[in-house]
Amino acid sequence: MTASRRDVLIGSAALGLAAALPGNLRAAPFDGAAWRRYAERFLLPEGRIVDTGNKGISHSEGQGYGMLLAVAAGDRAAFDRLWGWTQRVLMVRGDGLAAWRWTPDGGVADRNNASDGDMLIAWALLRAAEVWQAEAYRTAAAAIVKALVSGLLVEQAGLTVLLPGRDGFRKGETLVLNPSYWIFPAIRAFAALPGGERWGKLSDAGLVLLSKARFGGFQLPPDWMTLDAAGTVGIADGFKKQYGYDAVRVPLYLAWDGYRDPYYFRPFAMLATKYGGTAVPATVSLPGGTTTQVAASVGMLAVYRLAGHLAGAGDAVTVPPLAPDEDYYSTTLAHLSALAAQSLGIDP
Amino acid sequence: MTRPVLLSALLLAGIAATAAGNCAWAQANGGGRALAPGVKVEVAPAPGSGSAPAAGKVDETALRYYARIGDGERLEAEIARLRALDPGWEPPKDLFAPQPTTPGVDETPFWNLLSAAKVAEARAAIAEQRRKSPSWQPSDKLLQELDTAESAGRIRSASDTKRWQEVVDAAAAHPEAVACNRLDNAWRLAEAYAELKQADRAFDTYRTIVSTCPKAKERRDTIFKASRYLSPDQLRELTALGATANPAKGEDYSTVRTAEAELETGRLLERLGNAKPGALTAADLSRIQGIVRDKQDADGAIALGWYFQKQKNFAEAQSWFSQANGWAPSDKAAEGLVLAYNGLGEKAQARAAASPWKGKSSRIDQALKAVDPPRGSGGGRSGPQGPSELDRALARHDFAECLSIIRSSIAKSGPTAGLLQQRGWCLLEMKRPSEAEAAFAEAQAMAAREPAKGGQSGGGNGAAGTTRTPAASGLPQKATPAQENAYGQAVARLATGDTVGLTRDLPRANMTPAQKAEIRASLMATEANRALEDKRYNDVLRLLDARKELTPEPRNLGILRGWALYNLMRFDEAYAQFKSVDDRLSTEESREGVSITWKTIYHDW
Repeated sequence: MTASRRDVLIGSAALGLAAALPGNLRAAPFDGAAWRRYAERFLLPEGRIVDTGNKGISHSEGQGYGMLLAVAAGDRAAFDRLWGWTQRVLMVRGDGLAAWRWTPDGGVADRNNASDGDMLIAWALLRAAEVWQAEAYRTAAAAIVKALVSGLLVEQAGLTVLLPGRDGFRKGETLVLNPSYWIFPAIRAFAALPGGERWGKLSDAGLVLLSKARFGGFQLPPDWMTLDAAGTVGIADGFKKQYGYDAVRVPLYLAWDGYRDPYYFRPFAMLATKYGGTAVPATVSLPGGTTTQVAASVGMLAVYRLAGHLAGAGDAVTVPPLAPDEDYYSTTLAHLSALAAQSLGIDP
Repeated sequence: MTRPVLLSALLLAGIAATAAGNCAWAQANGGGRALAPGVKVEVAPAPGSGSAPAAGKVDETALRYYARIGDGERLEAEIARLRALDPGWEPPKDLFAPQPTTPGVDETPFWNLLSAAKVAEARAAIAEQRRKSPSWQPSDKLLQELDTAESAGRIRSASDTKRWQEVVDAAAAHPEAVACNRLDNAWRLAEAYAELKQADRAFDTYRTIVSTCPKAKERRDTIFKASRYLSPDQLRELTALGATANPAKGEDYSTVRTAEAELETGRLLERLGNAKPGALTAADLSRIQGIVRDKQDADGAIALGWYFQKQKNFAEAQSWFSQANGWAPSDKAAEGLVLAYNGLGEKAQARAAASPWKGKSSRIDQALKAVDPPRGSGGGRSGPQGPSELDRALARHDFAECLSIIRSSIAKSGPTAGLLQQRGWCLLEMKRPSEAEAAFAEAQAMAAREPAKGGQSGGGNGAAGTTRTPAASGLPQKATPAQENAYGQAVARLATGDTVGLTRDLPRANMTPAQKAEIRASLMATEANRALEDKRYNDVLRLLDARKELTPEPRNLGILRGWALYNLMRFDEAYAQFKSVDDRLSTEESREGVSITWKTIYHDW
């Protein structure tokens, strides 16, 4: 099982590379077998993705990732099941956004939205509209994007930034932001929609913030950061002051959107290289630099391998095969990294 | 358009100046000018840190940029640097012809952002450009400048948050971020080593600064900075190096040499303040005296006066207090003078010295008690035969003893309003304002209960006056005991920070005009401090100006004024302000003001 999973990954990469050569970098399909295995493990018949590392809950992020992978794999039936459950169960707020968290016991457990989940869903819908030439998806995506613009995009210190959720995340004059919610390729897709100028600004601001939000010896971004009215960034109080499971997606999204400036990838590559590309710690406290005993998952290593490529550090990171019981998040990151690498014509 | 005539001239000057290989370094340090306020784009890499471009090909990006924006000074330095790297290189003939610096991509926008201190924005713009044109690479020069600017910022923030190891790491990764043209960062690096208990490295860092940074002022400031961490021996070595090593033309290093002596003076004056008699050597003493005389430093003279007074060397004390009073008349100086004369037995002189302040200064009234001891007070000894135990304690500034005498006095013969009031003053001197306020209130209540005696008229001034009012007095401005109590309470409330209540109550308070003026001045000083904290800088100046009408501005408020001016970006005035304070007595505070303002004006961070 394990070997074949690894084979699948390599196979899909080769496919991506081949498809990329003619010049159409986005045309590479995500491998069908990988998707089927993913769906078997994480997609329930009713259309929700189970976060296996998190007591079997579901959330808008998982739905968005599932929908993205389904489109990439060309599985419209699965996509519709995912989108159907998302609409039915999560989009109950009345403002076009999804409640972010659902538990098997209590249903919708937190009605606040998570902006990255909403963005992933909308972006997947836009991709689906393109792939399957279905206007309904585009209309639905546009509605979510509009709701995001009116409720989540705010101006601070001359920057257009994304609030992580509609409620909270403002502490006086200071905003609490999540760098990994800047899903650059999704933002670019939204910017291309009619009236999408503010998304273009959000993208610009994201690069500025990522240049400012560099802490500790590795100069890594925190999972949660603050931005005050003067434009100063900090590490947010009230959250774990660390780089970790959230911020690891920063280089993934940058790469996926075609950014190749080594400056933006170096911190992640440095971290991975320092630990020999294998037992990379899953989290690093900021700014102190204390690392956890827990090692980065396979999916996180896949991101590091990508970051290493773009930082010019070569293939310093070895990505082991996904384990049979690899959890939802790790597996998802591994597949997303493969998709991003394919889009860049890089061997994942 | 550019200014071809001027630039051509500079270009020639630049070529002419390129005699020695290492002169780019010195030039960049000496001739720095910011492209935008507060920002420097350095031209020269620090020694040993430069990544030399591939042989045969020099990177002319920065050169063309400076030519385009018309920054002659930098252009010149860059020419020097490039020639140092490649002696065979000639500046391009088309330097002033408008052209894109790199085929396809014009770097100007990135340089402009960098010049405006928008480093993150420059990074973002470059990343965006690289996304759009994957084959394009920013010039090495641009990347190097960005790295340096970022490292400098990182060193600052790590040092501000006391992450010393990160300061050291960041400096090691980018030594040019701690070069002479970023002196503040070099200091931060030395401080980080010192805090990490790596004393040798701290010393090495200071030594590098004073022997390579060309400006005398930088070397001098470095010695002051280093004084916090280094031993006197190391400081001596540093000073000797700073005064002689690698001299630059036109720099006067004598000020470096005097830095050590000034530090010594500061330390000695500090020791003087709490010195036991005879604790200072004759040499030390004579050095202090020389410097205090040179600088006409009244505060220093007063300190000397007290030093001698404590040794009962009244003649020497009198001479120093007199000197202080001559340089800058103050009740502090007069107080010493009164007590010194009294020690000499020259009571008439003592009274004469007190007269300008009598009734206006509690200090002086206090001191006068040693001259003309009040009857029936203090240690229970009555009669005019000399100062009481209490008065002697007060004259010695021994306030703990004051409390103890009053305590035993009250235990023996019960409290009087006068004793309670005196207790208030002593508590205040011991920085126990809440208790002091209570003591004054108690005194007030006691005075109201005590039967009136003596011939004085008026409701509020009963017998409480015993400790403070010799019958001889009769000046119109003399404070009544009730007024003294009210005044004491006000001072205590000031010390506890109750400015709002005090401001409210002051107009109705029973005090002499002089007392009210003094309290008002103190309130304004407190308000000015608060205004500075709240960043209301115009208010600071307004309050200080109003205060100055009432009473001369002391040193600490002079520094406050300097910072207000600085924050209002009235840098020249701020510099003059700090300088005048610093010239009178140079301390870390005043030096900091002078140094920061100077750096801001000359963009020499």
